[in-house]
Amino acid sequence: MKLKKNLRPAAVLAGIFLFLFVAARGMDPKDLLITTLRGFSTGSVTFLVAAGFSLIFGLLDVLNLAHGTLYMIGAYVGWTVYVRPDTFVDIMPLILFLMAGFSLRFLWDALSDRLNWSPTTIKIVGWVLVIIAIALALFIVPRYPIAGWALDDYAQSPTSYSFMVEQGTRLPAIHLDFEEISAPVAVIGLLLVSSMVSFGLALIRKQANQQHDLSPKKWITFIILVVLSLFFLLLNTTLTNFLFSLNSNWLFLIAVIIAALSGVGLGALMETTLIQPLYSRPIYQLMLTLGMSTIGVQLVRVIWGMPEFVLSKPTLFRGTGGACPASNLADLFEYNCTTIMVLGGRVRVYDEIFLPIVGIVVLVGVWLVLKKSRIGMVIRAGVQDSSMVETLGINVRRVFTLVFALGAGLAALGGVLGAPSNGLSTGMGEKLLLNALIALAVGGLTSYPGAALGSLLVGLIQQFMIKYGQIGIPIPFTDILFKPTPAIVPASTMLLMVIVLLILPNGLLGKQE
Amino acid sequence: MENKATNFFTRNKGILIFMLVMLTVPFITGLIEGSTFEQVWTNKGSISKFLESLGIEIFILAIFALSYDLLFGVTGLLSYGHSMFFAVAAYLTGIALKTLMLPFWQVLLLIAFTSVIQALLFSVVLPRVKGVTFTMVTLGLASVFHIIVMSSDMINLTGADVGLQGMPTPAFIDPASQRLRFFVIALVLLVVTFIAYKRFVASPTGRVCVAIRENESRARMLGYNTTAFKVTVLLISSFTASVAGVLHALYQPIISPTIADLGYTFTALLIVLIGGIGTLSGSIVGAFVMKLSDYFLRRYLGDSAILINGIIYVIFVLFVPYGIVGTLRVRRLRTKEGWKQILSWVLPKKAE
Repeated sequence: MKLKKNLRPAAVLAGIFLFLFVAARGMDPKDLLITTLRGFSTGSVTFLVAAGFSLIFGLLDVLNLAHGTLYMIGAYVGWTVYVRPDTFVDIMPLILFLMAGFSLRFLWDALSDRLNWSPTTIKIVGWVLVIIAIALALFIVPRYPIAGWALDDYAQSPTSYSFMVEQGTRLPAIHLDFEEISAPVAVIGLLLVSSMVSFGLALIRKQANQQHDLSPKKWITFIILVVLSLFFLLLNTTLTNFLFSLNSNWLFLIAVIIAALSGVGLGALMETTLIQPLYSRPIYQLMLTLGMSTIGVQLVRVIWGMPEFVLSKPTLFRGTGGACPASNLADLFEYNCTTIMVLGGRVRVYDEIFLPIVGIVVLVGVWLVLKKSRIGMVIRAGVQDSSMVETLGINVRRVFTLVFALGAGLAALGGVLGAPSNGLSTGMGEKLLLNALIALAVGGLTSYPGAALGSLLVGLIQQFMIKYGQIGIPIPFTDILFKPTPAIVPASTMLLMVIVLLILPNGLLGKQE
Repeated sequence: MENKATNFFTRNKGILIFMLVMLTVPFITGLIEGSTFEQVWTNKGSISKFLESLGIEIFILAIFALSYDLLFGVTGLLSYGHSMFFAVAAYLTGIALKTLMLPFWQVLLLIAFTSVIQALLFSVVLPRVKGVTFTMVTLGLASVFHIIVMSSDMINLTGADVGLQGMPTPAFIDPASQRLRFFVIALVLLVVTFIAYKRFVASPTGRVCVAIRENESRARMLGYNTTAFKVTVLLISSFTASVAGVLHALYQPIISPTIADLGYTFTALLIVLIGGIGTLSGSIVGAFVMKLSDYFLRRYLGDSAILINGIIYVIFVLFVPYGIVGTLRVRRLRTKEGWKQILSWVLPKKAE
């Protein structure tokens, strides 16, 4: 009974693997191994994006087209922390102070409830406050000292900074002082800006007669944020020097963590401010996320510039001296080789071994969270029927925010981890989003194992196509060597998707109707 | 007979007035800049010629957006491969005129034929897939086409990422020397498309399409073969988009591959959204707003124009969900009441 039901997906899957098997027969074991590993590598980066996308689509019914942009922003944030930690340290207080005012939302709600003005007055006052705050922000933010790069000066452009780091040159740490604006004015101004915007928004969307809880517990976030930002502000020089003196491995780890956290933060922000008002209008969410992705790409273009650059690998993965390329594990760990010899072929350690391992770790980790934890149970139930879960007395909205933030964080993590092998460009998000969409369509849009399987298939097929572009496919019964050009690589996965969808409209592991 | 004719004019009052206004625009600007009627007629006035070029681009965009509105706004089929219809027509026109050197009427026949083929290609998947999957499949098909256009194997035919250039335009609608004629042709095509679409949506077939958008299973339960209706809409939409594509190919000196990618579909989506989904006239309004705002922002802000456009777009989604025309329609009753009230302050009250 069960077999009959799953006959079609099984047949399609068998067909694909037969195809891959036939494809693999024409290769040396050396090429085969490297191509497969590369497929796993591409697949795992795709999976990091696709997993979040699929969770978000399953639970929230939002096709988040800005997911590729989040991936891209993760990569760029990681680059900033890794290459220019001073910029990161300079910009932190700014962001934290801006967040601090918003964390007092409960206070503003309570305050706006005490006001006994007419609704029109309240709305007008709200808008005026928001506009004044934006004007104030436009005054303060450009005058706030942030060490950075110059897009129009080649010597100080991100491209040459990346090149310097790649060469092992230490970048000079830049310390800027408050010149155009004094530090206390900037701090108080920023707090004022965020408070005014938050208060204004509370006034605009005022709801009467709510219960307000002003217990000290609610102040904790605010206090933590202020203390953290003061910490960054006062210890600016020390922190910068510390980060610059760090080993590049540690710096890379910090960059990865910060990038993932920035993804989480951005995701939470997007969900609470932009997507939540649109839950009743699904098609608009699609268009909104589309607009967000355009804005994101343009912002990246304005801040980091158009030219492509790379994030250099940490020293753990780029040793060259001694017995490199390593032929055994002992050499690998002693000299931190870039490549290792397996079956006579060079395998890059970061791209082809480290990335798949990370992919598998994330796969297992998220799966464990989904299967074993309480929140995972709520998420799985929500994917089935979110209104039912809400009826059972669980705050689904909070779970929505959490899942969106988690998905965005995974995408950003994928971005920063993929950056050393794929490079950074403003088109990277779109390209990867397309890959992830194909992977999900092949695997099944809301299925978590489907995301993994689809990503793996997409990665493998792409890499096999690239490899065959170099060595050529012997067409049976003829002597012609067919060489797929690089352009056919994306086309092949697209065709895979179309074929799979025609046979199985819900994907390989999606629920069949 | 006469009654029918007047009916036609009263029903399409708005679009006909729009056409007349648009027809006078080159001449009025000619008057303002000081060139004579003769000069405008023979394409010698500079500002009016520039306005004509802007107008042509807007009309082409509007035709394209109209075809998308029929598909997405009226029937509710969200396709991400719509730019393929447009781009295939544009590229085929270019290749047929440049490489194959076919006479123009044969090119048009060829385009009409391919538009049908493409619509059928999209409709092959229709009975099987629904909703998001349809979106994905169309995205896949269109992306394959975009990749083929961009690939270096086709560089002789399509010019790969540079675009197709050096295409001989038929002399009688050459956009350089006969721009006024091109302007009028584009305008008339837009108006004809609009009137035909309006008629279609009002027809029984069109009503069923709206029903499919609202609730497909209910429409099917009432005994309509919904797939047939969807295929019809796809055919009409594909043909219209192809018309826009031909105009684009004739008008632009370079056919760039950007018209084949997802971004161009999103342009249509954006126009439809700004104007108002499913309103038809919203597509024309949206095309005007989009093109003009894009032009002026680009002129005064340079590269950050796309950023501003994106922000405007998000604001539209959040705060003006029905688009310009949709919002006006929703508010029309209230506006009428408001005018009545204002007039009642001025006008003497009638004795009761």
